[in-house]
Parts: sequence; structure tokens; C-alpha cells
Amino acid sequence: MAGGAAALYLAAFLLVPLGVILARGLAPEGVPVGAPIWETLTNRYYLGRIGFTLGQALLSTVLTVALGLPTALLFARYRFRGKRALTAAFTIPFVMPTVVAGIGFLALAGPRGVLGVDLRNSLAIVLAAHVFYNFAVVARLVASFLERVAPQLEEAAATLGAGRWRTLLRVTLPLALPATLAAAVLTFIFCFTSFGVILILAPAARFATLEIEIYNLTARLLQLDAAAVLVLVQLVLVLGAASVYTRLQARLAVQVAPGTAERPPTAGSRIILGADLLLAGGLVLAPLAALLVQAFTSPGGAFPSLVNFGNLLNVRPTLSFAGLWPALGNSLTFASLSTAVALLVGFAFAYAVARGGWRILDQASLLPLATSPITLAFGYLLTFPMLVTTFWGIPLAHALLAFPFVARTLLPALRAMPKQQLEAAALLGAGPVRTLWRVELPLLRSALLTAAAFAFAISMGEFGATLLLVRPEFATLPVAIYDRLGRPGAVNYGQALALAAILMLLTALVMLILQRRGRSEF
Amino acid sequence: MGLTKRFGDVVAVDDVSLTLAEGETVALLGPSGCGKSTLLRLVAGLERPDSGRLRLAGADVTDVPPQRRDVGMVFQSFALFPHLDVAGNVAFGLVEAGMPAAQRAERVGHLLELVGLAGLGARRVDRLSGGQQQRVALARALAPDPALLLLDEPLSNLDEQLRQALKGELARLLGALGKRALYVTHDQSEAFALADRVALMRAGRIVQLGPSEELLERPVDGWAARFLGHENVFEAAPRSVLPTGAEGLEALFRADLAALLPADEEHSAGGHAHTAEAVVIEALREGLGWRLVLDVPKWGVQVVWRGFDREVRAALGLAVPPGAPRPGASLVLSAPPDAWRLLDGQRPAAQDRAARSEGDDPK
Repeated sequence: MAGGAAALYLAAFLLVPLGVILARGLAPEGVPVGAPIWETLTNRYYLGRIGFTLGQALLSTVLTVALGLPTALLFARYRFRGKRALTAAFTIPFVMPTVVAGIGFLALAGPRGVLGVDLRNSLAIVLAAHVFYNFAVVARLVASFLERVAPQLEEAAATLGAGRWRTLLRVTLPLALPATLAAAVLTFIFCFTSFGVILILAPAARFATLEIEIYNLTARLLQLDAAAVLVLVQLVLVLGAASVYTRLQARLAVQVAPGTAERPPTAGSRIILGADLLLAGGLVLAPLAALLVQAFTSPGGAFPSLVNFGNLLNVRPTLSFAGLWPALGNSLTFASLSTAVALLVGFAFAYAVARGGWRILDQASLLPLATSPITLAFGYLLTFPMLVTTFWGIPLAHALLAFPFVARTLLPALRAMPKQQLEAAALLGAGPVRTLWRVELPLLRSALLTAAAFAFAISMGEFGATLLLVRPEFATLPVAIYDRLGRPGAVNYGQALALAAILMLLTALVMLILQRRGRSEF
Repeated sequence: MGLTKRFGDVVAVDDVSLTLAEGETVALLGPSGCGKSTLLRLVAGLERPDSGRLRLAGADVTDVPPQRRDVGMVFQSFALFPHLDVAGNVAFGLVEAGMPAAQRAERVGHLLELVGLAGLGARRVDRLSGGQQQRVALARALAPDPALLLLDEPLSNLDEQLRQALKGELARLLGALGKRALYVTHDQSEAFALADRVALMRAGRIVQLGPSEELLERPVDGWAARFLGHENVFEAAPRSVLPTGAEGLEALFRADLAALLPADEEHSAGGHAHTAEAVVIEALREGLGWRLVLDVPKWGVQVVWRGFDREVRAALGLAVPPGAPRPGASLVLSAPPDAWRLLDGQRPAAQDRAARSEGDDPK
């Protein structure tokens, strides 16, 4: 039953919208089959957009791996003071809403940035933001894999005549390769579908990714046929990358013995470690620090000042200009609703896969991960034109975007539960429902909390789908921030910063809960 | 001064000295946490000693990193490289040594043949059985022809049957190679089967070093005796047995040298210095024999005796099945003079050779 419910949900809110896009892209009414595809794919402008999207994603991925891999190696092998705090700090960007990251870099190197150089509309600032975003993905994924690889492998290499660098080259790096590739593929997918960061940092047309192009075609130009074709192109490329990722993940599950390889750094590696931490720490912390500094700087330039926050409270909200309280209220409401939906469906899904043998569902759980927010929102617009005019469009979209994270957090927890405990409960007289209530749910408490925090943070920070589906009265914090950025003047800019600071602190709060609890598969 | 290694306040290896003769295999035997693995890692260069020196083939290697030490090691977990196939693993050290590819292939083939894995060079290591992985680990360690081979509990990750089979194979191989080898184990049967000499370790120190018979027959103290499986170790020797100068010393009774005799017979003291009446307290069947707990009033102790049906029946006058010894039955225990031994902490004379070599630099 749980499996049926989960399958029905995925079918209704993911497969059907995707199918509608597919139909629209392949054969819209009144034109020959394949005509929109032919038209779009022979259009030099669109081909250029596809090329740019691929190119910037590849470049971002290479840079991210170049910085993340050394950090992962150092973190997996060396023990040093402040390591735990740094690990937590490096994870901050990963959960930060794109709008916060975008504004952070704007505060650092935008027209009014603290560095005094205006890098807006440059490839450099886009790449920096992408590295900022995905650095932790590479560092954590690879480090946690290397930590599980037995240190004896490196010791064995030493007894066989390989020095430190030779061991790195012949043992450690080859071992880290699958994990590094998996992290690189994830990074590629995130950068390929980049939306908010680019919309804020490089709004010029030449930096438009496919995701932005789809948004423009849908929301501004109303060329839905071309948008549908671009969605299909994006979906094919991302699904291809995602299937590579799942294949790599399967390879990561093999082998490895336990053991701790941590040791104090030697004099030489201390220098490398210091340089790496300085670079990575700077990249991660500088934008967030700049954001906070500027949020507490008045439009006149006084610091510290609460003027921006004061302005926020004084502004008279209008229908097209959301104040702090309506935006905060909308964000919290949508986050609560989408968390509830995602938990319910995610649990049904995980339960069906772990207990009911719904293996096909397991295969399907990465599909939503490969579905970009704009794609999903576009699909909802085409499929449920009535629904999206109501209040429910946004939380339903958020729930689906959070669903893979929830499912992938609950699934391992459910699988790890010893079967004997359930059998014991049955022998003591508890039926399946009573066992669920009295044994499984209590045991899953920490995983459920982690999943809830994930879902809540994702909804709070979600930007792309919200922007496409939003009506003025439902503006969330990210939408209100973006709206202010688009308006002229230091006062609006200051309010955007103040709102971003609030969103950042809220996300950090949710993050704290995550840090204290268990881990998910990501 | 011997080799010492501390981890914080814990002295893992405490002033240990040991010299291996040409072609000799020495087993480091002891309970977990006794420092045997740390000692092995010190010799490999994977840990650095706090004090003491290591010599290999005449040269001081204390400050030489493991990769230049000419020492091969078989790890407890095998530590095979999962990204290389069998041949790649065996060739690893040869590549580091700069051996040309053609020669390398020949050497790898030779080693795979030596360990009985000929033809499996292209196999992925995670497709091998535990025993095969163990053989690859051994071939890999031997490939660069190291001056010293280290083995860290190489059989402990295998199941019992495989362990027995490989034990004999390993013993033959070590003998045929004529290489110096250090073998760490907590299993005395492995140590005794494989090693020319056994170093019994406790709390970071070598408490006894010698051939296996010597350790078994003349354990140096009560702890060593109990660790090696002796059941009749007593806080003090019975006065009637060892009357002089025995105060405060533990004593060992070698029940395996003692015979059981019927209680009602006349016993001449001829040959058997120790004769005492005994009463069966407890009798437990052990396979084809018995484990008897005997109360010996004359000595004021209870001793454990193990033996076969035949001996027990003869002493107790029992019928062939279904006879069984019963608590309360009387008999006589008769043992030669050296069945009782004081555990005086002194090394037996046979250990002088080892003791003398400790004056040299350790290895």
C-alpha cells in the first residue's frame, strides 16, 4: 500500500508533468511531429546556449575538483586543531539558498561590494560561486570515502618501496578516483542547471544557462514549444550524467576495511594544509562574511547599523512588494507544508523499497534529483494550470524537490534496522501497524528529524520553481530578496541584504539540527 | 639499550632486544595489547621508536623510511590494492624498484607459481577467496626479495579449516625461502608450528624467548605457564615436594608427565619421586578422554589431569563401557622428579644463547 501511494505520488507530480512536457516538445498541436525540435536545434542561438551551459558546467566542475580533492586528501589523512569546526564550515555553502550565495558574492565583488571591484557579469564570478557551492560536495564525498579505505593500503605501499608521493600517485589517487568522479558528476549536474546564482550575479544574456533560457521563454516570452524542447535537451543530458553517478555510487559501495588513518601533519604537509585551508576557507567564508558586514552597513555607509533592518520593518508592503512579515510567513508556511508532504511520501517510498521489495521505485528515486526546479515548475504550469493559481502549487513543487533527499535519508536507516527487532515485536503480539508505531518510528526518529531538516531547508531556500510559480501574494523570502535586487537604489539593496541575512541565519539554524543528527547518503 | 615505543602514557614496546639468525623465523606470541604488533610496525618502519636502534644486514635502519628499508610485510587484513589485479598487486614493489617490464612479468609469474596461484594474474582481487587473497599478499611481500619478511597475524582472517591448511604450507615456504622472518600471532599453535624460536610477549616486554619445546616445558613464570595452557600452576609449591628455598615462588605441576595408578596397589618409589593419593572431585568427558579434577591431600592442592579412557579405567578398575569415573573415587598419582617445577623467573640454561645475543643491537 505504501508503495502504491508513493508510486501514485511520483506518477502524478513527476511523471505526468514530464510526459506533458515531452508531448509538447515532440508534437504540439497543429505542427508536424518533431518540428519544434528541428527548429530549436538548428537555431544557432539555442545551440550557443547549450554550448555555454555545458562549457561553464565543465569548467566549474574542473575548478571545484581541483580545489576539493586536495582538501579531501588532507582531511582524510591529517589530524589538526579546528578540523571539526572547519568541516562544518565547509558544509555551510551546500545548504545555503542560491539567493544567499548570490548576494554574498554580490556583497563581495558586486557594484557595491566590499572588495571595490565590480565583477558582475563576468565568467569569473559565476565560476567562483559554483566552486563555493560545490566545493563541500567534492571534499566531503571524497574524504568520507578515503576515511573508510584502510590505511594499511598506504602502509603496504610503503613497505613495497613507494614513498609519499609515489603512494599518492599509485594508491591513494586511484582509490579516490570513483569517489572523485561521482562528486564531479554531482557538481556537473548542479552547475549545469544553475539558475539563481547566475540570475543574480550575471544577468547578461550571454551568461544564460538552459535553465535561465527556459525560464525566460516560459515566464517572459511565452514560447512554450521552444521551452519544452530545451527542457528535453536538458533532461537528456542531466539524466545521462545522473546514470553515470548511480553507476559510480555502486562502485563506491564495494570493498574497504575500517581503520583510522589520521595522523598529525608533517612539516611539509603543514604548509600545503595551511595554504589549502586558507584558500578554501577564504572562498567559503568571504562571501558570507561580506553579506553580514553589508547587511549591517547603512545605505549611507555607516557600520555597524541596523538601518537596513529598520527599513525592512518600515516598508509598507504592497501587492507587488512583499514586506518582511508576509514573505517570512509564506516561507515558513510553504516549508512546513512541503516538509510534511515530503516526509509522508518519502517514508511511504522508503518503507515500500526496504520492506515491500519495490525495487523499481528505488531505481526511480534519482529521477526527481535529475529534474531541475524550472523543469518541474514548467511541467506543473502545463499540466495543472488550475492548481498553480492556488496556494498549493509551490509547496507541492517544493515537496517533490525535497523528496529524493528525504527518501535517501530514510532508506538507509530503515535498511539498517535489525530484522530481529521486528520479529521480536511480532512475537510479542504487535501487528504491522503497531510495530510501525511502537518500534520502527521511534527507532527512525533521528533519521526522520534529519530528513525533515533537509526538506525544510530546501523549501526555505528554493528559488527557481518558486519564481516561475509564484503570485505576488505568495512571495517567499528568496523571491522578495530577488525582487528588491531588481529595484534601483541603495535602500532596496540594503533591504535585500537584510532579508538575505535573515534567510541565512534561519538556514544555519536548520543546519545546526542536521549537524547534530545522523548522516544521509549524500 | 632496547627498542621502546610509547603512545601517550602507555608503553607499548618496552626495552625489547631481539636478534634474528640467518634464515630464522621468530614468532612474537602474546595476548592482544602486548605490543607484538607495535614491535612489528617498528621493525617495518611504520612507527618510529622513542629509543633504541634497529639494524638490518649490518646497517642501522632506525631512521630509514619503510619504502627504503628492504622489508616485506603481510598485513592482517591483507591490504590488497582493490584498483589493481592480482599481477598488478604482486608487481607493485617491482615497479617501485624500477624493474623492466619483461623481467617483472617473469618474476610475477614465478611468485604466483610459488604461492599456487599460477594463471590467476588477471583476476580482480575482490573476486578471490580469503585464502587466495592471503597468498597474493604473501607473493606481493616476497616479490621485491626483501631481506626480512614480516607477517602480522596473516592467518587470523581465515576460517579454521583454511587456517590449518595454510599453516603447514606457510611453514614449508618459510623453511624453503631461508629468509629471516618475524611472525606475529596470538595463537600458540601457529607460533609453535611456524617458528624456529618463539618470543613470548607481555606488556611490551619479551618475557621468554626460545624454541617451542623450551617454552612449553620450562615456562619462565606462572603467567607464561598459564598463557601456554598449563592448568596446574600454584601460588606456592607444596612443602612436601619442594621444601627448601621455595617461599614466595610459584610452582608448576606437569600433569602430562604423571601417571594414574590404582589406589589399593603397593607403590615403589622407583623412578617416580612424587607419589600421592588422590580423590576424584570432578570428571568431564573430553572427546576420547577425560579431564579429571583431583584433590591431593598430601600436597594440599587440586590438580587437573587429562588422559585417555584406557588410563582412567586401569587406575579406577572400571569396566569397558559403560564405566565412568565418579566423584569420590580414589587413586594414586605418580610423577617423576621434574614434574614439579619452581617458576623462579630464571631463564633456563638453554636460553643463554638468546640472552647473550641481547647484548647486540636489537632487530
